[in-house]
Amino acid sequence: MSHKQVGAPPGESAVDWCLYQLNGAAEFEVSEADIISTVEFNHTGELLATGDKGGRVVIFQREPESKNEPYNQGEYNVYSTFQSHEPEFDYLKSLEIEEKINKIKWLPQQNAAHSLLSTNDKTIKLWKITERDKRPEGYNLKDEEGKLKDLSTVTSLQVPVLKPMDLMVEVTPRRIFANGHTYHVNSISVNSDCETYMSADDLRINLWHLAITDRSFNIVDIKPANMEDLTEVITASEFHPHHCNLFVYSSSKGSLRLCDMRASALCDKHSKLYEEPEDPSNRSFFSEIISSVSDVKFSHSGRYMLTRDYLTVKVWDLNMETKPVETYQVHDYLRSKLCSLYENDCIFDKFECAWNGSDSVIMTGAYNNFFRMFDRNTKRDVTLEASRESSKPRAILKPRRVCVGGKRRKDDISVDSLDFTKKILHTAWHPTENIIAIAATNNLYIFQDKVNSEMH
Amino acid sequence: MEFKLEAHRIVSISLGKIYSARGQRGGLKLHKNLLVSLVLRSARQVYLSEPGCPPEPPPAACGPPEEESPPCTTAWAAGEPPPPPQDEAVRSGPRLPGADCESPRSRRCCCGCSCCCAAAAGGEANRGDCATAGAAAPPPPHCPRKRSAGERGQAGSPVKKPRREEEEEPPPPPPPGEQEDMETGNVASLISIFGSSFSGLLSKEPKGRRRTPLDGNEAAAGTPAEAAAEPGQICCDEPVLRTLNPWSTAIVAF
Repeated sequence: MSHKQVGAPPGESAVDWCLYQLNGAAEFEVSEADIISTVEFNHTGELLATGDKGGRVVIFQREPESKNEPYNQGEYNVYSTFQSHEPEFDYLKSLEIEEKINKIKWLPQQNAAHSLLSTNDKTIKLWKITERDKRPEGYNLKDEEGKLKDLSTVTSLQVPVLKPMDLMVEVTPRRIFANGHTYHVNSISVNSDCETYMSADDLRINLWHLAITDRSFNIVDIKPANMEDLTEVITASEFHPHHCNLFVYSSSKGSLRLCDMRASALCDKHSKLYEEPEDPSNRSFFSEIISSVSDVKFSHSGRYMLTRDYLTVKVWDLNMETKPVETYQVHDYLRSKLCSLYENDCIFDKFECAWNGSDSVIMTGAYNNFFRMFDRNTKRDVTLEASRESSKPRAILKPRRVCVGGKRRKDDISVDSLDFTKKILHTAWHPTENIIAIAATNNLYIFQDKVNSEMH
Repeated sequence: MEFKLEAHRIVSISLGKIYSARGQRGGLKLHKNLLVSLVLRSARQVYLSEPGCPPEPPPAACGPPEEESPPCTTAWAAGEPPPPPQDEAVRSGPRLPGADCESPRSRRCCCGCSCCCAAAAGGEANRGDCATAGAAAPPPPHCPRKRSAGERGQAGSPVKKPRREEEEEPPPPPPPGEQEDMETGNVASLISIFGSSFSGLLSKEPKGRRRTPLDGNEAAAGTPAEAAAEPGQICCDEPVLRTLNPWSTAIVAF
């Protein structure tokens, strides 16, 4: 099975992934605050934002192509860094609120400025990113430093002119959406109407207007009257990419609920429930945990949804509620190790998933800094590794294989040798091109399709 | 038998997780704790339903448990009328020495607390008082109340001492009007409950239900913890249990 076929449009040459750039300190210098907690491309792919556990956001911008510097083209350079959230303390409950950035979502660009939403466990913030590359010079009454001039030296009038200056990127918090959530916010999603967005915590989903911070509208509430009756929580949610009235949310029981905001004000009752009956042969103590959906993403077309649970990724057709149309095993060899993974807490890891621009390939992370891609058309899959050792710049990534006993090939890695502390939870795919951003602990890897990078 | 051990182990691990979750930065993670409690419940059910206790004559005073079914173990407060919140149920009621006789079920409770019983692998053989003795009562055999010093060695650990503290104090009352705090309260109750239950399990003397004061410094053996547990916890009132929902059932179980 050739991995090269993964991602290649039918009839065209295969996709070879190579490391384009790597940002981040070497692994032995990792501090917890540097661990990347979210990665997101903007709608054009020109900007890439990452959030970390220390509450910082780093935005990378892609260098525009130019014939003069062929090797710098397409490179993502740091554009801006800012502190989005700080740790807070809730005095009423004696709880510290972590500053870790859980999610970043870009707003569609409507003018020269870029805007994004970032959230920690409790508070969502809207940031506006603007560039300043000119400044006025030649004031009549002030000198270069801004001090008032001695009027006797002013003999003529001049018109101030705008002169170029070094590019300065300014990031300002435009809105702070606070006090909307009692539980931990796990997702935010901007509506296609570009006016509203939703934020979801374990038990509730709120709808906000981007311009209004002092109130939000609760649209889903699954909190039982008696907390002892709690059986499931909301794990992720997203608006439909085209229909502004539709959104989906996933639960810890492995189900998806599609809700229509036109149907009623409170969307507790779903319009569609997507659930696959459990396979009784796979039942174990941990069946419930591994069926919990950690991420849900609509396809770009809006026709499908992608979900990730602990061992699989599944593609669901919006028109079919009874079962997914496709299921891919990410690391089924872990099925026999669930008890150990429960013990070391790895079973609670929340992996994300992503679609490529054409919805033909899906990607998700795994352990040992491996990430997996599945081609929906050819049904081929590949396992690649994001590590300094195995990634020389511009060298093509070699597919990796985990052997589960039986014949072991050279370079295979056995299940027991997997490093479970190296997990790839956050990945993002450029909206149109074969460029992927992989967060491995504190390192950000950007891989590009070799053909893609050579063209620039 | 292996399932029983596995179940026991899982229960111990789960309790440890719930306990340590209280102190983590950022507050209680509802999702994770819910999942842990589901695992706890599954493990408990398996533990209870697995035949594995060598039948042993229960203390004379107590007859074989009856029919029973499932996990009565969730019971608590012997002889008490349907207890209100589970934590109260757990902590209330001193355990009457005679309780065993009166409600054989209570034995089962003990059993149910797999964690307690569980203890070391070797413990199986010692599980005394499986009320099963003589009881045709098939399924849920009862777990041994057992408690030998050997058990202490079991998993869980850090849980012990803290649990004891938990028991002593009531769950944090929800701040006025702040219902959501109940979740923290629930966990605290959970811990208390576990704590109490363990105390019973710790007792080496099934008959008298005497508590063996726990050495507070023992880090190991999380489950059997707290000697400080108030007596009488393990008795359970089955009908009451049935009315409890899964969450509290899981909680109550231990």
